[in-house]
Amino acid sequence: MDTDANQIFENDGGAEGTQVQLVTFEVGAATLAIEISSVQEINRNLDFTVVPQAPAYVRGVTNLRGEVVTILDIHIILGMPPSDANANSRNLIVKHDEEMFGLRVDRVSDIMSVRTCDLTVPPSNLQGVPKQLIQGVYQSTERLVLYVDMDELLKSCNQMEPA
Amino acid sequence: MIQDDELLQEFVVESAEHLADVEGQLLEIEGQGEDLNIDLVNTVFRAVHSVKGAAGFLGLSTINELAHNLENVLNQVRNQELVPTHQVVDALLRSADKLRTLVDDVGGSNEVDVSAQVAELKRIHEGETEAAIAEDLECVAESVNDSLENPKDSVVPASAGEDSAEGSQPAAQQEPESSVPAVDASAETAPGPEAGSQPAASQNTAQPAKAKPAPAASSRPNTPKPNTPKPSAAKKDAKQSAKQPESNVRVNVSVLDRLMNLAGELVLSRNQLLQAVNNSSRDQLEDIASRLDHVTSELQEAIMATRMQPVGTVFNRFPRVVRDLSGKLGKKCSLEIEGSDVELDKTIIEAIGDPLTHLVRNSVDHGVENPDVRLANGKPEQGVIRLRAFHQAGKVCIRIEDNGGGIDPEKLKSKAISNGILTESDAEKLSNVDALRLIFAPGFSTAAAVTDVSGRGVGMDVVRTNIEQIGGSVEVESELGVGSAMHITLPLTLAIIPSMIVGSGSEKYAIPQTNIAELVRVPSTEIDRRIGCVQGAEVLRLRGALLPLVRLGTTLDAKPADEQATHRGLNVIVVESGQLRYGIVVDKLYDSEEIVVKPLGRQLKDASYLAGATILGDGYVALILDITGLAAIAKLRSGDEAGVLAEDEGQELNEKHRLLLFGNASEEHFAIPMACISRIERTRVDEILDLGGKSLLPYRGGTLPLLCVEEQITAKPRDSELDHVFIVVFTVAGREIGLITPVLRDICNIALEVDAGSLREPGVAGVIVVGDTPTRLLDVVEMTKNAHPEWIEKEDNEPEPDGKHILVAEDSSFFRRHVEQTLVDDGYTVTTAIDGQEAWEKLQAMDPLPYAVVTDVEMPNMNGLEFCEHIRADARTVELPVVALTSLASDDDVARGQAAGVNDYQTKMDRDSLLRSLASFSKV
Repeated sequence: MDTDANQIFENDGGAEGTQVQLVTFEVGAATLAIEISSVQEINRNLDFTVVPQAPAYVRGVTNLRGEVVTILDIHIILGMPPSDANANSRNLIVKHDEEMFGLRVDRVSDIMSVRTCDLTVPPSNLQGVPKQLIQGVYQSTERLVLYVDMDELLKSCNQMEPA
Repeated sequence: MIQDDELLQEFVVESAEHLADVEGQLLEIEGQGEDLNIDLVNTVFRAVHSVKGAAGFLGLSTINELAHNLENVLNQVRNQELVPTHQVVDALLRSADKLRTLVDDVGGSNEVDVSAQVAELKRIHEGETEAAIAEDLECVAESVNDSLENPKDSVVPASAGEDSAEGSQPAAQQEPESSVPAVDASAETAPGPEAGSQPAASQNTAQPAKAKPAPAASSRPNTPKPNTPKPSAAKKDAKQSAKQPESNVRVNVSVLDRLMNLAGELVLSRNQLLQAVNNSSRDQLEDIASRLDHVTSELQEAIMATRMQPVGTVFNRFPRVVRDLSGKLGKKCSLEIEGSDVELDKTIIEAIGDPLTHLVRNSVDHGVENPDVRLANGKPEQGVIRLRAFHQAGKVCIRIEDNGGGIDPEKLKSKAISNGILTESDAEKLSNVDALRLIFAPGFSTAAAVTDVSGRGVGMDVVRTNIEQIGGSVEVESELGVGSAMHITLPLTLAIIPSMIVGSGSEKYAIPQTNIAELVRVPSTEIDRRIGCVQGAEVLRLRGALLPLVRLGTTLDAKPADEQATHRGLNVIVVESGQLRYGIVVDKLYDSEEIVVKPLGRQLKDASYLAGATILGDGYVALILDITGLAAIAKLRSGDEAGVLAEDEGQELNEKHRLLLFGNASEEHFAIPMACISRIERTRVDEILDLGGKSLLPYRGGTLPLLCVEEQITAKPRDSELDHVFIVVFTVAGREIGLITPVLRDICNIALEVDAGSLREPGVAGVIVVGDTPTRLLDVVEMTKNAHPEWIEKEDNEPEPDGKHILVAEDSSFFRRHVEQTLVDDGYTVTTAIDGQEAWEKLQAMDPLPYAVVTDVEMPNMNGLEFCEHIRADARTVELPVVALTSLASDDDVARGQAAGVNDYQTKMDRDSLLRSLASFSKV
């Protein structure tokens, strides 16, 4: 959350069209975003219990104030090599479809407001990330933000099963 | 017909629960079209089936009829004989709606006319198959002309128009806007008799935009419904929405007072704690900790007490069920109930109602035979069904037993083959116990005809699913012609389970105490002796049985066994679930803790070895192991230990002998050489028949003659209180015979020092000392000979030995004498030697050569194989037949023996085979 202060300002300024608030985060070399309303919290407790024989994209389970929450490794879901935890790693606790789970990401960077009309379809030459998981692309001044389709993301998890 | 208000009320609540989800599920089924999710159809089917069953015994004939027809159609959908098109689902929904209105007003339900829905369902059903649907359902006519909503009878040609009129009747009390076509499930959360069950329904249709226009409501006018929604998102919700019936518990005021007191104590403790923390007083902290501990457990106990109810509230309905059903089926049954006062958690009590009803009905329908059949089989005309609840090892068991016809495993197998559940080769491998378990497979039914009582094969599937959902297990036991028993094991409560925390690698796991039979530590010095290998699987020798072992780390992570840990000894947790029993090897044992079960996320639902997760005191998440699932991924065959025993083959080549130790009367110890045992069976005592003074066991279509120790030799009779005994099966003179061994004690390797002098009698080879216990070594062949002299005498087609000379080399004096005796008895003359060296010297001195040589393998100075090589190396003796005797002949032994020139291998003490083998040389 240390970058792009200008951009937040800029986006907040333009109040036309429907606005979505996005949390952007980094996974490998990509910058992804999900809607802020589905994010419960950003958690820096990276301890987890390994679940043997679980699908590869499940990193483990962790205790989130009395609830057992599954931590998914979004690297694996996106087909990237897993990354080691570092000081910037976070668990993005997401509530989607009445179910809570965590996404392990490399860094949480930003919160931004985007007008839906500024979102474009993903370019056909999108690299590194399966295109069907992206519901839109936002071109900020510096980088390309990929707006993740959570339904598709979870669906692709199901297709990856069994381990 | 309807008398019992409480029962009826229960039925209403239950049925409403069952039906609450049906609507959403039907819609989802429609959305899937041909791409059908069979599980979902099964779910709907079960719900309807449960309603049908309950309605049947409450005499709610209209509900029963409608549900039955609904079920017929669903069954077709499930079997993929019918595509759930819009029209079909429309009809299903209309009927489901109707069913719900009937349930809402059970009192008047028998007067309601449902012929239109029934006709419609029947048309759909018959449209696809000619299958029999013509079950008589007594009261089709009965309901026709009553009350409220008659007019539409004439209006309705065949479609569902009638609902518009009649739907408004119960709807009035429930949903103000019932006249609006779009009645979705969420509208029904309005207070109604079944309000408690509705939250689930409303969750289901959490996407009102999608669910609302659905044909759900379509019930009303005749307008065609063009809009087929695709409730794609609803799918996930339907799966997720757990049923959470809210209901009331009556709590005794004294319990409430106690709770208040305890809460007061808790507050007090907290205040003290805060104070102590401020003062940083260590002593005070310890006091408070122990006080808190005390208060917490009392509080937990008190809260649990508010949830406990006697199982009698469920049992009380069954006398009626049995009476009505047996009357209907023309059978005579009595019901005996025991243990009504056993208490269980309320949620469990509620959840077992359905499964138990199924089982009791099954007992009446399938179990108990018709009176004439019973009479013909020499049984009393009246069958007895026993329903028992009792505590066992921290769990509650419920047994439903009948003394009916039992279940034929062969029939189950062939049925399973024709249903495509099993292949023929699989079926052959299936043990009888496993075959019986087939009844729990979905879609499996053995009843020849589908009746409205049972026979669709949905019942047992439901039973198992329901019971497993509440953490219980169900097992079936049956003896053909004698009866069957269903054994249900239930946890006392669901919320908090005492568990053992164990460590494997760096992770911790919880194993529910209810599954733990015992903890065994195998010190490193005993590992070699007690841990063995049977067909590649590790086993632990534990008091006369071989226990399959599962190494937790290896099984879950495919990590190699931790050698370090092995050096320190092994921690084995012996677990049980139903008939499954095995040992889990873990790296570490931590504490026993009471844990709160937390569900796992959807992504982990496929991990069958997990029963959930829990959060330990240190905040760490531990996974809870599911004993049955773990066995499955470890590929353990559910098997009786006896089977494992019989398969066991030791690799020992030393001169120790493997003996099976068993007890007859409590103080008497016996041993049998494992080598003569072909297998071991376990059987119920009451299955053993006494015919003409001889005991017999009906066995695989034939009979197995049995020997009793006390009948053959001087011994005290066995304890009469035993339910089960083991049968050790031998082959003597080409026939199988079983020895009743009431209590198996151990299998051990013992260097035999037999005192053949004392206590010698026919059938007892001598006395050995095992540990400090004098144990009689039995000679089963001799026992058999005494019991069945005719078997042995028949074998006179063998050439007579005629005093032929045999050289016997054997270092153990007991066996030397035993072999000598055997041979002399049979008419040979014998020269003995104490080792290979002596035998070789004697042989060289002999002229003429003996007829054959019988030699032990393991001997000092010169062993049997060396002896044999000498024989083969000498031109004079190269042709001499050599029989080697071993305590156990493994394939390796045989190969080595053949390389050395041994003609035949025989196991010690198997005199029959030895004689036959010797006789065969003269034929050559």
